Amino acid sequence: MHSTITRAQNIFGFFTTVLFVLGAIIASTDFLAPRTPSADVFVKDIQVVRGRPHYYSTKKEEYASIRFSLSADFSSLFNWNTKQIFVWVSATWPEPSASNKSIHTNEAVIWDTIITSPSSDHLQNIGPVAMKKLIKSAKGKSIDPSRGKIELRNQKPKYQITAPSGKLAELDDVLLKVHYNIQPWVGILTWTQQVEFWNWKVIEGGVSKIFKLPALKKKDEKKDEKKKTTKKAT
Amino acid sequence: MLSALRNPRQAASQIITFGLILSTAFMMWKGLSVIADSPSPIVVVLSGSMEPAFQRGDLLFLWNRNFFEETKVGEIVVYNVKGKDIPIVHRVVRKFGTGSEAQLLTKGDNNVADDTELYARGQDYLERQDIIGSVVGYIPFVGYVTIMLSEHPWLKTVALGIMGLTAILQRE
Repeated sequence: MHSTITRAQNIFGFFTTVLFVLGAIIASTDFLAPRTPSADVFVKDIQVVRGRPHYYSTKKEEYASIRFSLSADFSSLFNWNTKQIFVWVSATWPEPSASNKSIHTNEAVIWDTIITSPSSDHLQNIGPVAMKKLIKSAKGKSIDPSRGKIELRNQKPKYQITAPSGKLAELDDVLLKVHYNIQPWVGILTWTQQVEFWNWKVIEGGVSKIFKLPALKKKDEKKDEKKKTTKKAT
Repeated sequence: MLSALRNPRQAASQIITFGLILSTAFMMWKGLSVIADSPSPIVVVLSGSMEPAFQRGDLLFLWNRNFFEETKVGEIVVYNVKGKDIPIVHRVVRKFGTGSEAQLLTKGDNNVADDTELYARGQDYLERQDIIGSVVGYIPFVGYVTIMLSEHPWLKTVALGIMGLTAILQRE
């Protein structure tokens, strides 16, 4: 009844129970914080070029490079349980052969970014100088909502997009969409909402105007459009 | 301490209790598996390719049903590559088409390049059936125990031994 083992077991059991209850309480406080994200995205310059998926490939595909401007305010998404938010801009388009052009069945990310909370800055995979600067930018702050404000002018995309068919030129009904994913310290992950949920509002804006990709850029042998071959595995 | 060994009836009941604990845990795991429709509803992060979101040892809860919508771009999915046994946790960055034949491309947030290199030879995209679940919930660090256990296998024997001994030697 009062052996050392039972005592140790009781302490451990109590400890884990407290830990999980505390975790659950922290996770549930997410629902109390209102979320009012907003974003405006505009297409700037688009180029479609032919290239190869990697250096040794003989397959030629069309790659679209979409420059865009983004003005977003995700500051309300940060609270004490926010570890990071992942923001991305994706291009969506319907299947060219489809009769209903409003159903966008294809989607590809063209740009993304990780915005950490000051509490998780040390986990970022960045150089020592950038790290020092990042940590200094939020000195003394445990939450820094100002990081949720994004202003990009004529931003070059991080990823050039392609389609399995290899054809993208003169593609019509393309849209840019802004999305986010909130990563908590503990609890449930949440994404861009489709419907309003109590305190959490649907993103304001976040969709560009419909646009059309231009015709293939004619130029004698473009060498610089090759996709990077250096790949890093998990 | 050793009185339990002298009393076979009590020893038997201790063994049953021990078995009951094990089978309860197993049933809870399988029950969760049925609810989430995933062969492995809880996974432990093994690599740093999704940092800073997930570190090694973090616990992820998966959901593998598409009640309202299909698995889409931006979701963090766990998938198995054909012929490889290690599940990989990465984000979907491209999706072409719909339904079970949709072509999905994944990438780790912390990786420079997408996962084409990780897939099986000749495989350029994942299909829905390769995915064993999308991440919906997160608990940090708790799963580190399993990493310890798989990296130091003797710990398993020790842990099982201690559990067995305490269950048998304990009075009441």
